[in-house]
Amino acid sequence: MRARFLLVFCAAALCLTTTPRAEAQAETTFAKANADYSAGHFADAVKGYESLVQAHHWSANVFYDLGNAYFRTGDFGRAILNYERALALNPTQPEAQANLRLVRDQSRALELAPNWPEEHLDFLTTNQYAIVAAVAFWLAVFVFAAMFFMRRRPVVWIFVLLLLCAIAGGSVFAISAFETGTKGRDVAIVTAPKIQARLATAESAGTVLVLPPGSEIKILSTRGAWSYAALPNDLRGWIPAQGAERVRL
Amino acid sequence: MFRRLILVMVLALAGAPIARADAPTVTAVLTSSETEVDRPVQLRIKVTGDSEGAPPTDISVDGLEIHFTGQSQLVEGRNFHFSYSFIYSYTILPLKAGTFTIPPQTVKTKSGNLRTEALTLNVSLNGNGTTSSTRGRNGGGSTIDERKLVFADLVVPKTTAYVGELIPVEIRLGFNTRTRARLAEGPSLTAQSFTTQRMPEPQQSVETVNGVQFQVVTFKTAIAAARSGKFEVGPVEAKALVQVPRRAGSRGRSPFDVFGMNDPFNDPFFQDPFAGIPEQRQIDMKSQTVAVEIKPLPPNSPASFSGAVGNFGLTTDVKPKKAQIGDPLTVTAVISGRGNFDRVNSPTIEDDRGWHTYPPSAKFQPDDDVGLSGTKSFEMVLTPNENKTAVPPLLFSYFDPLKERYITLNSEKLPITIEGGAAPVPSAAVASASNTPPTAQPTPAPQADDILYLLTDRPRWVQSFAPVFERPVFWAVQVVPLLALIGFFGWKSRQRRLANREGQQRAAWEEETAELQKKLRRAEDPPDRYFAEALRVVQLKTALARRVPPNTVDAETAVSAFQLDDEKRARVRELFRQSDELRYSGRQNGHGAVNDAMRREVLELIDSLS
Repeated sequence: MRARFLLVFCAAALCLTTTPRAEAQAETTFAKANADYSAGHFADAVKGYESLVQAHHWSANVFYDLGNAYFRTGDFGRAILNYERALALNPTQPEAQANLRLVRDQSRALELAPNWPEEHLDFLTTNQYAIVAAVAFWLAVFVFAAMFFMRRRPVVWIFVLLLLCAIAGGSVFAISAFETGTKGRDVAIVTAPKIQARLATAESAGTVLVLPPGSEIKILSTRGAWSYAALPNDLRGWIPAQGAERVRL
Repeated sequence: MFRRLILVMVLALAGAPIARADAPTVTAVLTSSETEVDRPVQLRIKVTGDSEGAPPTDISVDGLEIHFTGQSQLVEGRNFHFSYSFIYSYTILPLKAGTFTIPPQTVKTKSGNLRTEALTLNVSLNGNGTTSSTRGRNGGGSTIDERKLVFADLVVPKTTAYVGELIPVEIRLGFNTRTRARLAEGPSLTAQSFTTQRMPEPQQSVETVNGVQFQVVTFKTAIAAARSGKFEVGPVEAKALVQVPRRAGSRGRSPFDVFGMNDPFNDPFFQDPFAGIPEQRQIDMKSQTVAVEIKPLPPNSPASFSGAVGNFGLTTDVKPKKAQIGDPLTVTAVISGRGNFDRVNSPTIEDDRGWHTYPPSAKFQPDDDVGLSGTKSFEMVLTPNENKTAVPPLLFSYFDPLKERYITLNSEKLPITIEGGAAPVPSAAVASASNTPPTAQPTPAPQADDILYLLTDRPRWVQSFAPVFERPVFWAVQVVPLLALIGFFGWKSRQRRLANREGQQRAAWEEETAELQKKLRRAEDPPDRYFAEALRVVQLKTALARRVPPNTVDAETAVSAFQLDDEKRARVRELFRQSDELRYSGRQNGHGAVNDAMRREVLELIDSLS
């Protein structure tokens, strides 16, 4: 009994001490990669940042710096991909926004056209809309419950209930539009050079669009080594699955 | 006498088995010892006097094709002498001319092995003069004029053309309608130095050629010469499978029909057992050739010429018409007409300065089955690097074989509106907008067209890219308002339940009050009970007014519960005192009812309590 207690205690202690240690090690790796970058050793910096990404030590700063490192090595596609990832984690990071615009202009990367909600409802992020939707939903539920027990139901309460329902519904609509839009879960960035979107899953098939590295696509389905994607200019075509990486990991 | 006759018959019948038991014999005969190449004859081996026999299964003679075709049984009776025979039939097809000897064949019977005599077959040349069979080459003897069965024809309407120009070609394959024929292979068109367009599904029609009706299958295609010179187009080759009837042979008398009787072997079937079945023959079809002269294209072709020969038109469009600098514009160029569309390439931009162009995509929509005419659409993406008012004209050149010169099509300028200045570049203002001023790295120094500095702040690690509503913690948090909601419902329900209980209590009190007041008006009870009931009514009314239990109501409580004058107050107190006195003193007012004056007084007092 006592031995078992000791074993459980040791395991718990190990768990509690492992996480801070791993984080400390990740910060060391991050600092070293930054030093490599500053010294002009961009390939080493890329390796350092990539090791953090592989180890699931994700941070907007890591992806931003990795994008910078890829830019220095001339890999515009992966630079854009990592700036996008940085913005996926922190949509308001101004450095990533500025660098992304710069690299896109230099690489002539094509972008997907945002949908209507993305253009007009972008004052909140997806996560913020989710929280708003949850709060409005529960408030509406409580208002409804209170009205259920009332003998007389004031018009103000009914108005408040409808307003809360509208806020919750609108937030869910915005989330849905965002998730299926240009910042959604299926958005990918072309990382390989000379990617051509084709009409069918064959190299000999007709070309729909030539996609420079860094171009945005939205993967609709995958068949074997090919992905069917929505392309800029409202086009659709098949691209090699290895030629693009999803923004969200 | 009659007994003797029966005895003779029995003896005669008894003799039949004796005759059947004679020594078995075997005979081999040919239906004809003279024949031609490809004209079959019959070999019959007859075994008499044995009930079973095993015929030879494989008779091989060089130059003859011999097949076992079946066996039959024959019963013959002559003068009460019955004999049983088995006849084994073989078909012999001569493959070449000459004299052939069919060697003796051994037939196994119950009585032992029997051997036939050797037979001789003389095979002469057939009607076509061929010394050997054509079955090995095309599947059957050929004594029919193949030109009356099938034909192939090549139609090339244009015998002079330019390099790259599409020349329509028609291939006609005819099949005699009186035969069952089908195309087994092809057609294939031999045309060296030419490229051939795809051949769509053929059209069928019935035509009469030289008095013979043919089912004509017409294939349409087009060819284009790769170089100049004089060439032969064709022939067209195809293979057809045709079913033709077998030729009937001469009908001789059976060698077994010695006396001219109706010998079953003399049936026409034995002359040629396949005569009623048509035979399928493969016929090679070949057309004539056509001489075509190909002229070279004139020199000094335009720069935008890509080899298109024919007659074409060009239309263009651009979308969107309003964009920012750096935004992609999709320019659509549609080339329609008649010619070699496989050599039609995307039009070129007359002046691409200030534009960034991407490789175009192409889509061809033919108007006919061959692809001689149609529409080829090109979509190319352009991005303006500076302010522009129009997409420059697109150029497309082709060679017109009718006008015999090069033609260059110029599209109209496509007006557009480009907004915005130069492409945005990051500036220090962007960096200053950051909420968390980063530690700027000295190298590399940011340039006007360079990326911003590294962010070396201690990273804030995150676990997932998933939005918050896809994380379990988000849904776990929803349990809190859910529990609060459940608690709210429980609290409100309890409140309502309690409220209901009080209401029910009050209703019961009101009902009891009404009942007692009725009884008091009737005044049927004795005084002690009457005053007790009156007191109870006062207590109930006080309880309803004060929301207190009626049993706790005393005279002072009742007095203070209602706004009464002094007289009424005194009467209330008197009512309490009188009731207590009647209840506890044991003093009886008799068994009679309360008098009217007292009843009226009590009722007035009770009515005044409101």
